[in-house]
Amino acid sequence: MIAPRSDRWAILALVLLLSIATLAAWQWGRPSAPVRAAAQSHPMSHHRPPTLGSDTFQYAYPEKRLAADQVYNPVPPPLSDRAVHEYELVVRDVEHEVAPGIRVPSWTFNGTVPGPVIRGREGELMRIKLVNHGSVPHTIHFHGIHPAEMDGVFEMVPPGGSFTYEFVARPFGVFPYHCHSMPASQHIHNGLYGMMIIDPKEGRPPMKELAMVMSAFDLDRDGDADFYAWNGKAFQYADHPIELQKGEPVRMYVVNVFEEMMAPHIHGNMFDLIRSGTALKSAELTDVVSLGIAERAILEFKYDHPGPFMFQCHFSEHMELGLMGWFVVSDPQKLKASASSPPTPTKTPAHFHGAGK
Amino acid sequence: MKSRPLVWLSFLAPLVLLAALLVVFYRSSGGLRFNSPAPVEQIAFERVVFLPDEIVAHVRNVGPKEVTLSQVQIGWLNRASWEFTAEPSPTIPRLATARVRIPYPWTEGEPYEIVLFSAAGLPFSHKVEVATATPLFSAHSFWTFSMLGVYVGVIPVFLGILWLPFLRNLGERSYGFLISLTIGLLVFLGVDALHDGFEQAGELPGPFQGMALILIGLSISLLGLFTLTRWLERRRTGLEQQQGSSSALLLAYLVAFGIGVHNLGEGLAIGGAYALGEIATGALLIVGFMIHNLTEGVAVVAPIVRSRLGKGEGAVSWLHLLWLGALAGLPTIFGTSLGAFAPSPVLAVLFLAIGAGAVFQVVIEILSQMKRGGPLGAPALLTPANLAGFLAGLAVMYVTGLFLAV
Repeated sequence: MIAPRSDRWAILALVLLLSIATLAAWQWGRPSAPVRAAAQSHPMSHHRPPTLGSDTFQYAYPEKRLAADQVYNPVPPPLSDRAVHEYELVVRDVEHEVAPGIRVPSWTFNGTVPGPVIRGREGELMRIKLVNHGSVPHTIHFHGIHPAEMDGVFEMVPPGGSFTYEFVARPFGVFPYHCHSMPASQHIHNGLYGMMIIDPKEGRPPMKELAMVMSAFDLDRDGDADFYAWNGKAFQYADHPIELQKGEPVRMYVVNVFEEMMAPHIHGNMFDLIRSGTALKSAELTDVVSLGIAERAILEFKYDHPGPFMFQCHFSEHMELGLMGWFVVSDPQKLKASASSPPTPTKTPAHFHGAGK
Repeated sequence: MKSRPLVWLSFLAPLVLLAALLVVFYRSSGGLRFNSPAPVEQIAFERVVFLPDEIVAHVRNVGPKEVTLSQVQIGWLNRASWEFTAEPSPTIPRLATARVRIPYPWTEGEPYEIVLFSAAGLPFSHKVEVATATPLFSAHSFWTFSMLGVYVGVIPVFLGILWLPFLRNLGERSYGFLISLTIGLLVFLGVDALHDGFEQAGELPGPFQGMALILIGLSISLLGLFTLTRWLERRRTGLEQQQGSSSALLLAYLVAFGIGVHNLGEGLAIGGAYALGEIATGALLIVGFMIHNLTEGVAVVAPIVRSRLGKGEGAVSWLHLLWLGALAGLPTIFGTSLGAFAPSPVLAVLFLAIGAGAVFQVVIEILSQMKRGGPLGAPALLTPANLAGFLAGLAVMYVTGLFLAV
């Protein structure tokens, strides 16, 4: 079994070649230091929430960001002096922009998701006309105390039709309203919901008021919401923060209309909690409250410090999918002082004024 | 004989009429109403690159219409909206691509889901099981992937060739066994390549027609090699006396070529998977490939086992061993590098199919030579030794393939 002479040459050459290759691989195969170092340098900006310190932009191309006039007005309408509180809600099928750049076919009251805030006073008459310009029958189901025929469950309002709901507003508190046509899950999810505020007879102390509906949008109908939002548009108050003043008392009405627990939370502060809005005085001071489906509350607070403060749902997923925004608290005294002197750099980034980058 | 213009008219008339029909159809839809109520949008993820603090998704619009990307979410436990830029534009024409850059502070070893939302609100999701830094093209990383190719392709082939002296001392019956074993190895390789090709073809976006790519690849190599072999044979018989050695050598080169193309496809797959972090246990897999591919060296030299090596009339120069090994093994290096730095699922499918076809063509060639006599001449095809060899070939590939099951 001795190999011919020429074979021995070939084998020798092959063995040499393999040895050299293996040696070279062993020598060069070790990882180089710079590659590892580069992988560990984290620019801080990418760890900050949207708006604050963004190096690029806020979750959408600048030209795709919500225009200021597309933002849902967070200030509820004032209580009218009239004894009858009349509203007209027109159902319209529109494309609703749930997140910057994403428009989805929706069913709306008066063209917005959520619908307009409806407001009345305890003991006075509510008269709400539903006009259906949509494509399928709709109703309005109000929470609160009212006769069965005003409950919005049986009287379907066909496309082109209308119906007027009349009831005495009671009790005082915060309530959701929504369509109750079947399948209700679809009618509500598609955008037919909103907030009703019934003020107590004696009224509440005057404050700056905000109305916030918490909801979510499952765009591909897979059972997991794709975007969450304050007042129907993900991140709208991150792109367009709400301006408050230091020491200014604020009353925030909050309703959760989505089929998950929500936990509204404000940063850098505590609030007086009035569950369901059905009491005049708060029994609890806290900074987070869990609201199940259709639960609501009044949050009263005032800021002691100027600066940017996040208000969010404390479920991280909800926050990161749109349920977050900013209060930008300014100091009126400092503003007065700076009016006469050159502007001093504040801690508020330019982003808050809609300038962007 | 018909007049020329009439012939041309008969060629052009259907085309002109079709063009006219298309114009009418385009203008009036030809009476058909195809207003699709739901937006039909499709995005395919072709590659996901993990850079320091940045995830880059290479996507292609494989739907029928233009698509605009409006939002990006990264999923880890839950999804979170994230900033992004898209190059060259977030609006992607049909079959065009975009690089979606997401400045996300990902961490090594975590699973992530990348979700792109179109302006119509449709989510397109891609899951990465284990995030790992994607090798960027540099001298060092190029060397790494070249060496990966050397380990899984070149070294095993040459190690297999080293068996040559042993093989040369086999007797007549053992020789038939060896050739049949080689056929077993090749058939296994071909089926394996086809299987991989089908698997990857299934993952290709619809417009790329994975099955058609396989058909084209198989045809190219089967018919191309057939034609090439016949041409070479005719040329040689015309020039010189039929010589056993050169015929065997040609066959050896054919085997090496087939295995080489197969290894190129395999390398593309390995490099791509390695770069995408889909091979979690890289070292074990490399060991598996080394054992598995050792058999390829045997297959390459099997046809020249009876040829005289060295200098002189009719002898096969030992330098040919180097060339044969290089032809069979070196394509792996191109494969792993290309797969790592410029992965193309389309190319991978095509090369796997070409490799399969080449290997099958070699099997046909070996069988025909065994029948015809000559250097590979066997007294009979279906001897017990030959059948045992064929089965042993399949068994060897199967057993060594177990190392790849990770």
